[in-house]
Amino acid sequence: MMKEYELFIGPNHPGVTGNMSYHLWAEGDKITRAETRVGYLHRGFEKLMEKRIWMQNVPLVCRICVPEPDVNEAAYSMAVEDLMGWEIPERAKYIRTIILEMARLSAHLLAVGGVAAALGIYTAAQWGIGDRDYLLDIFEQITGARVYHIYIWPGGVRWDLPKNAKELILKVLDYLEKRMPLYDDLIMHNKVFLRRSVGVGIVPKDKAIEWGVTGPNLRAAGYQLDFRRLEPYAAYDKIDFEVPYYPKLGDYEVLSDGSDIYTRTAIRMLEMQQSIRIIRQALKDMPEGDVLVKENKANKWFGWKVPAGYAYSRVESSKGEFGYFVVSDGGKKPVRVHVRGPSYTHGINVMETIARGMNIADFSPTAISLDVCPPDIER
Amino acid sequence: MKHEEWKKISRIMSKRSLWMVHFCTGCGAMEMPPVMTSRYDMERFGIFAMATPRQADVFLVTGYLAVKTLKRVVQVYEQMRDPKYVIGFGSCTINGGMYWDSYNTIKDLSKYIPVDVYIAGCMPRPEAIIDSFLKLMDMIDKGEAIGWQKYRKYYDQYKRNQKMAFEYRLDEVKPIKEDDKNES
Amino acid sequence: MKAKELFPDAQELRKGRVRIELDKEQITDALKKLKENGYTHFVMLSCVDWIKEGKFELVYHMWSYEYKEHVMLSVKINRDGEDVVSNRELFPQIETYEREIHEMFGVNFVGNPRLGEFILEGWPHMPPMRKDFDTEKFVKDLYYKIPEVNEE
Repeated sequence: MMKEYELFIGPNHPGVTGNMSYHLWAEGDKITRAETRVGYLHRGFEKLMEKRIWMQNVPLVCRICVPEPDVNEAAYSMAVEDLMGWEIPERAKYIRTIILEMARLSAHLLAVGGVAAALGIYTAAQWGIGDRDYLLDIFEQITGARVYHIYIWPGGVRWDLPKNAKELILKVLDYLEKRMPLYDDLIMHNKVFLRRSVGVGIVPKDKAIEWGVTGPNLRAAGYQLDFRRLEPYAAYDKIDFEVPYYPKLGDYEVLSDGSDIYTRTAIRMLEMQQSIRIIRQALKDMPEGDVLVKENKANKWFGWKVPAGYAYSRVESSKGEFGYFVVSDGGKKPVRVHVRGPSYTHGINVMETIARGMNIADFSPTAISLDVCPPDIER
Repeated sequence: MKHEEWKKISRIMSKRSLWMVHFCTGCGAMEMPPVMTSRYDMERFGIFAMATPRQADVFLVTGYLAVKTLKRVVQVYEQMRDPKYVIGFGSCTINGGMYWDSYNTIKDLSKYIPVDVYIAGCMPRPEAIIDSFLKLMDMIDKGEAIGWQKYRKYYDQYKRNQKMAFEYRLDEVKPIKEDDKNES
Repeated sequence: MKAKELFPDAQELRKGRVRIELDKEQITDALKKLKENGYTHFVMLSCVDWIKEGKFELVYHMWSYEYKEHVMLSVKINRDGEDVVSNRELFPQIETYEREIHEMFGVNFVGNPRLGEFILEGWPHMPPMRKDFDTEKFVKDLYYKIPEVNEE
């Protein structure tokens, strides 16, 4: 009879995704119980937002998800536009699409590299982070910042794309497209990766929706559900793209019953190809015109009043559904902004449940493959 | 005189092999992967990320610290062996930055642990991070990076400040009594 | 069945957003009814502090992949310590949201065994997300008053 012992993973541990920790109970190598400990990154965003005017909140919201800040700006802006009754200019919609897809590409590169690194393929992490930097360079040219862009805001986007943006973006997309087969060779066809990832870290398919799983993790479980299709925002309703889901994994072999680390990584790889396709189309079809509604003027910000009401807006991020619930009482400041982060369910309920019976060594690859990002859990 | 020469040599040695604790305390951890990997490559300067605090020399406090994290940061810092250096990363370690009125983040890191170098900005660029490391090396060379000695010398004051934040104590600061000093 | 057919007094905010006001006692049945009728994705549970009315508003957000409709079930309770029944049996993630709301607003959910410290650690004051908690004053009283380390 093996004695049960406790194991703490994190917060100072290379196997956790950021500053969070898991408290595990294990018997030998087998986890019997897991509890997620969060709160290390709690800044009280929702409290601070109640103290600031509507436009001052834009620089705050992007700090809620660090690898992919643009989804927060987009979701918050959409909620405010909904309350204000604004229809944003056509060109701004296309620019938002481009920015959001570039953010998805960079987040997926980081996630795929992270999963591979957790299984010992450190080259993939080096490549992923290195290639992501080319995207950050474009972000810097467009918005002026590498990480926090504050580019999408209520009423459209802050300013138009620079004149050479199209060439810059296409150059990086061509480069990334050439790199994709190399990633396949390095990760998806790697024997070590396959042995460690196929059939490991399974989220039960019949429970996935009930547990609130969203995004690539849900599609890996076999549902073709994507909020870009279900509730099109930005310019996604005018763009032709595919939603990859299990068992339609394209060039990748179907090796398992889905919903494992392998399938989730394959879905992310396929989504990157789709993102490249979406950006190409958006660049081609983008009309000329304004990028910001006329009502949003800097000199009026401090007098802005948003009509009273409830609004919920959602964006399909690289991790899942990012939602903003915004309540206004007709004043200059929001009454309540509540953020629904995808990691809230993935990191806490799902991880705690699926960890039971798992090997300790499989635990952190599973957490990373679910793309758990702690800042959006505790905010 | 001989002792001084040894000290000089050891400083030259230690400045070229700074190992950094791998602890992502805040959102600044997002700019660390580019610095650690091929593009900016901090291994050129002998800087390397280490998972255990026992084997590390530098503690990069990446960004804002919630009080709950500060407890872990202090624990990690005390586990590190002398000489140890702290770099405060981003505006939020200097004065709170964006979170100046947040109830759960500390505002000034140097009140709780001694800081040798600060990097301003939100987020600081990878170049700024490398620059701060070079600055730290320079300071070690000159014998100016003495935060760890300060922590020993004013241990009771640091402990008092940490305790006030940990307990969210709102009452007035009391002068340190003699027996408190003896305890610590 | 769509939410409008299940609850005739539902109010449509815009296309795909429905808000329903309910009494505290009806909430578990309403959640069950919606779950059986295609609203299978529980989005989140939020809490709004209406300090002037003296009420907390609990908003249960649900989404139907079938009808592409988002339903907000809204329940108002008294601010001064009114208990609410926990619905953690219906959707597991409700448990986590209840833990957060208990900590941040002080709402007590009867039947949730994991209430207690979740995000904060050793917090002795009023739950911080309540409107009467002044974060700016708190910061000035605590963090700004902590003295610099004195070098003599």
